[in-house]
Amino acid sequence: MTGCVRLSDRIPEVALGRSSWTAEEETHLRGCADCRAEWALVRAAAALGTRAPIIPEPIAMAAAIQRRLARDRADRRQQRRAWSLAGLAAAAALAFAVWTGRPERSTGVTARDLPAATATQALVPLPELESLEPAELDSLLRMMEAPLVGSSTLDAPTLGELENSELEQVLASWEG
Amino acid sequence: MTPSPAPESPSEPALVAAYRAGDERAASELVRRHASAIGRFLFSSGAPASEIEDLVQETLFRAFRGLDRWRAEASFRSWLFTIAGNLLRDSYRRRKGRRVVTLEDRDIPDPADPHGELAAGELEERVRLELGRLPRLQREVFLLRAQEGAAYEEIATALGTTPGAARVHYHHAVKRLKELAR
Repeated sequence: MTGCVRLSDRIPEVALGRSSWTAEEETHLRGCADCRAEWALVRAAAALGTRAPIIPEPIAMAAAIQRRLARDRADRRQQRRAWSLAGLAAAAALAFAVWTGRPERSTGVTARDLPAATATQALVPLPELESLEPAELDSLLRMMEAPLVGSSTLDAPTLGELENSELEQVLASWEG
Repeated sequence: MTPSPAPESPSEPALVAAYRAGDERAASELVRRHASAIGRFLFSSGAPASEIEDLVQETLFRAFRGLDRWRAEASFRSWLFTIAGNLLRDSYRRRKGRRVVTLEDRDIPDPADPHGELAAGELEERVRLELGRLPRLQREVFLLRAQEGAAYEEIATALGTTPGAARVHYHHAVKRLKELAR
C-alpha cells in the first residue's frame, strides 16, 4: 500500500516527462491495477492540456490587456470623481438645509427673543416713523425700549399674546 | 571563444515588481509565460474551446488588476489558476448551472465501429467531461498536480487550504475519475 502512495506522488512528474520510473516502480506498476488506472488517468489529463486551443499571439493579448487596464483605471478615476462631487453636493445640500432652516425655527419668535430694535423693525414696520423729527423718534424709541429692555422681560407678554384691543393700544401709543 | 552566459530569465516576483514600476514589457512576459497554461487549465476544466481565448484574457486582466493580492508564497501560475477557476465558476452561474462541456464531432461514436475500443482522444474527452463535474477544489487540485506537477504545499498555498487537505482532494478526484476510466 505504501508503494501505491509513493507511486501516486510520483505519477504527475513522470507523466509530464520531468522524471522516469525506477525499476522498482515499474515492477509495482505492472502488478497494481489501481496504480495503472491512476497512471492512465493522469496521462490523459496531461495530454488533455495539449488539446487546448493555442493562444495565438500572447504579445497582442498583453497589449489588449494593457488597454483594458488603462480604460479600467480611467473609469475608476471618473467614478471616484463622481463620488467626490456627489459627496460635495450632499454636503452643500446639508449646509443649505441647515442654513435655510434657521429662519424657519424663528417663525414663532417673540419680541423677547430679539433685541428690542430688531423686534421693532421686524414686527412693527411703520413707514410713518420716517416722517418724525429726530427728537420725536428718540422719544418714541425710549418709550418703546422701556417695557422690553429697561425691565426684566421674563414676564413681558409677546405681541402675539396681546388681545386685539391691547395691540391697538400699543400701536396707537407707538404712532403717537 | 567562450560563449557568453545566457541571461537569466527574470523571476516572477521580479517581473511583477517591474510591472508595478510601470514596465509594460514585464506584463507581456508574464502573459507569454502563462497564457497557454491558463488555456489548458480552462479547457481541461470544461470551458468551451471557442471561449478559451476570451477567458484567458479575462483571467489575466483580473490578475493584473488585483496584483496586490498575489502572495509570492504561491507560484504566480497557481494563483492565476485560482482566478481562472473563479471565472469559470462565474461563467457556470451565468449559464444557470449548465455545464459548458460540449460534444464535438470527434466525440460522437462511429456507428460503423460500435465495439471499437475507446480512442485516446475519447478517453481524454471523457476525463474532461468528468472533471467539469467534480467539486471545484478536487478539480483544481487534480489539474494543478496532473498538468503542472505542482507540489501539495504549493497547491495548498494557492488554494488557501492545507497540504493534507489538498492531498485528500486529489485522491477523491482520482477515485472518481478512475471509475469512469475502468
